[in-house]
Amino acid sequence: MKDKKKIKELLKNKVESRAVPERKTIKQLHQEIKGSKKTERVVQGALEFAESVINTVREPLISLDQDLRVVSVSRSFYEFFKVKPEETVGQLIYDLGNKQWNIPKLRELLETILPQKATFDNYEVEHDFAVIGRRIMLLNARQIERGMGKERIILLAIEDITERKEIEAGLEKTRKELETTKISEDAAREYSESIINTVREPLISLDKDLRVVSVSRSFYDVFKVKPEETVGQLIYDLGNKQWNIPKLRELLETILPQKTTFDNYEVEHDFTTIGRRTMLLNARQIERGMGKERIILLAIEDITERKEIEAGLEKAHEELQELAAELKRTTRAKSEFLANMSHELRTPLNSINGFSEILYDGTFGPLNEKQKKYVEYVLTSGKHLLLLINQILDMSKVEAGKMKLALSRLPMKGLLNEISLLVADMVSKKKLNMLLEIAEDLPNIEGDELRVKEILYNLLSNAAKFTPEGGKIGMRARKADSGIEVVVWDTGIGIALENMGKIFEGFFRVDTPYSRVTEGTGLGLPLSKKLVELHGGKFFVVSEGLNKGTQVRFTLPIISGKAV
Amino acid sequence: MKMRALIVDDNGNNLMLEKDILEVAGFEVFEAISAADGIAIARKEKPDIIIMDVRLPDMRGSEAAMILRQDKETRDIPIVFVTASVMAEGKEEIKNITNSGFIGKPINTRTFAKEIGQYINRGSLNAEKQTGDLSR
Repeated sequence: MKDKKKIKELLKNKVESRAVPERKTIKQLHQEIKGSKKTERVVQGALEFAESVINTVREPLISLDQDLRVVSVSRSFYEFFKVKPEETVGQLIYDLGNKQWNIPKLRELLETILPQKATFDNYEVEHDFAVIGRRIMLLNARQIERGMGKERIILLAIEDITERKEIEAGLEKTRKELETTKISEDAAREYSESIINTVREPLISLDKDLRVVSVSRSFYDVFKVKPEETVGQLIYDLGNKQWNIPKLRELLETILPQKTTFDNYEVEHDFTTIGRRTMLLNARQIERGMGKERIILLAIEDITERKEIEAGLEKAHEELQELAAELKRTTRAKSEFLANMSHELRTPLNSINGFSEILYDGTFGPLNEKQKKYVEYVLTSGKHLLLLINQILDMSKVEAGKMKLALSRLPMKGLLNEISLLVADMVSKKKLNMLLEIAEDLPNIEGDELRVKEILYNLLSNAAKFTPEGGKIGMRARKADSGIEVVVWDTGIGIALENMGKIFEGFFRVDTPYSRVTEGTGLGLPLSKKLVELHGGKFFVVSEGLNKGTQVRFTLPIISGKAV
Repeated sequence: MKMRALIVDDNGNNLMLEKDILEVAGFEVFEAISAADGIAIARKEKPDIIIMDVRLPDMRGSEAAMILRQDKETRDIPIVFVTASVMAEGKEEIKNITNSGFIGKPINTRTFAKEIGQYINRGSLNAEKQTGDLSR
C-alpha cells in the first residue's frame, strides 16, 4: 500500500508541474515502474491516475491489450498523428490511420522483443506517414499486468524526434567541418607566432598573471624595449615601469576577465622614451592548447600620428568651413554693395542726365549757344559716368560668374552692318575711312544680342577713337572652323610693346595726345574680352607697336555657351 | 481727354523731372512721396497709370503694388516701376505683379512719355482681356 501511495503522489506531482518537460515525466514514470517489481502488481489501482497522465502529457502515449489492439490513446496522440478517436480504440495498432501504422520495426518490437523482455527503451523508428510525412520516433514500451496477473497491457510512448534529429545532424555536420580544418596544436602555435612576428602592429601575449609570454618584433621596435627586459616581466613593469598605465590596468584586470575580449580602446600615455603616444588596444583572452592555460593576446596600434593627422584635418576642415562661410558672406556683401552702389549712383544721375537733356532739348525754352554747349558737356559727362557704372557692374558680374547670357540666333551680317552705322558719325567727324569686309557665307551664330553688339561697338569705337584724323579703320568677318572670326583693325596709335600686358587690366588707356581728348572708360577692351570668352570664343589683340595700328581679332562659336 | 498719371517717388528731383516730362506730353500728374500717400491718391483719383519708385521710405514699391492689386478699385491700373534698382535682384521682386512694367533710371527724357503711354494702352488691352477671360 505504501508503494501505491507513492505512485499516486508521484503521478500527481507530475501532472501538476506542467513546467517540467513531459518527456522527463514519462521517463520518471517508467523508471518508477521499473524501479519496483512490486509496482506491476499495484498498477491497476493507479490506472485512473495513469490515464489522466496519459491525457495530460504532451508526448503521444498509446496503451494496447495483449492482442495489440488499442485500449486508450492520449489526446496528444490524436493531435500529433492526425487520427480520430472513433477510428482508434479497439483497432489493431497496425491498422491505425488507414494502415499507416503498419511499420515493420514496430511489429518487430511489439511481437518479438516485448514478449521476451517486457520492456524496450529508446528504439528509433523512422517512418513515412501519409498524412504527416517522414518522421523519426523514439519508442519506449512497457508490458505490464493489469489487475492481479490477469491480462497484460502494453504502454507505448512515442516521442517525435524528427526535429531534434535534424538539429543533431546539423551539429554533426558542423563538427565534422571543424574537424577537417583543425590543425595540430603545434602547427597552430607556430603559425600564430609567425603571424605575431609578421604583422606590423605591435603584439604582446601575456599569461594569466599578466606576465609577458612573447612579444612581436614590431613591439620592440615601436616601444624601444629589449627582448631580455621583456619576456617573463609583468606587463606594467616593462621599460622601467613605463607600462604602468591606469587605463591598461583597468582593461586587463576588470574588463577582460568579464568579457574575455575588448576592442579599440584608445589609451593615451606619456612614455619616457618615446614621448606621448595614443594607442588603440585590442585584446583576446584565449585558451592555449586544449583547455589548459589561458593567454591574453594584446594588440597595440600606435595611432599617435593618425590622431595628429586627424586633428590636423579636422582643424583644416574647420578653417576651410570658416573660410567658405566668410567667402559666402563676402560674396553676398559684395553683390549687395554693387546693387546698392548701382542704385545710389543712378539716382542722382537720373537728375543730372534728365534735367540736362531737357535743357539741351529746350523743352522749357531755348538756351543760348554757350549754355547749350555747357549743358551738353554735363550730359555727355553724365552719360560717360553711366557707361562706367554699367561696365564696372558688368565686369563684377563676369568675374563673380554671375553674368548670364540671353542666347538667341543672331543674323550676323545685319548685326555687323548695324553696329558700323553707330560709329559712322564719329568716323565722318574724324574724316576716317572705314572699310567693311563681310564674307558672303558668314554664318549666323548663337549669342546674346546685346552683348555681341556691345563687343562690336566697343572695338569699333576704340578703333575710331585711337586713330588720328584721315586714318583708316575697318572690320573683316568670315566663317572660321566652328564659328566666325571678326577682325577690327585701325591704322591708329597702336600699342607699345611694354603696354601690351596692361591693356586688359582695366582703366588703362594709352597715354597719347589723342587718348586724352577721347572719351573712354578703359573698361571696353577687358569687358569685351570677357564677354567673348563667356560666349566660348577667343580674343586677341595684335599691334606692331606704337603708331603702327591695332588689330583686335576674336572668334565666336556657332553654338555658344558654357557647353564648349 | 487728358491722361492722368500718379508718380510715387521720394526723391524730389526725380519726381519733378518725371512730372515735367509727362506734363509737357499732356498728362495730368498727381504726386506722392510715400507709398501710403500714393495708395491713398490712387484710390481717390483712380489715375490711368501709376509710376512707382521701388525704394520708398515707408515700404517697397512692390509691396505698395500688391496692396493696390488687392483693391478692386485700383487693381487694374497699370503700374510702371521706374527705379534705379536695375540689377537682377530689383527686377526679381516685381516680376509677379500683374499688369506692370519696368523702366530703369536714369530715364531717357526723350522717350519716357511715349513709353508710359504704351503701358496705358497695353494695360487697358490687358484689362479687357481679363474681363473676357472671366466671362467665359
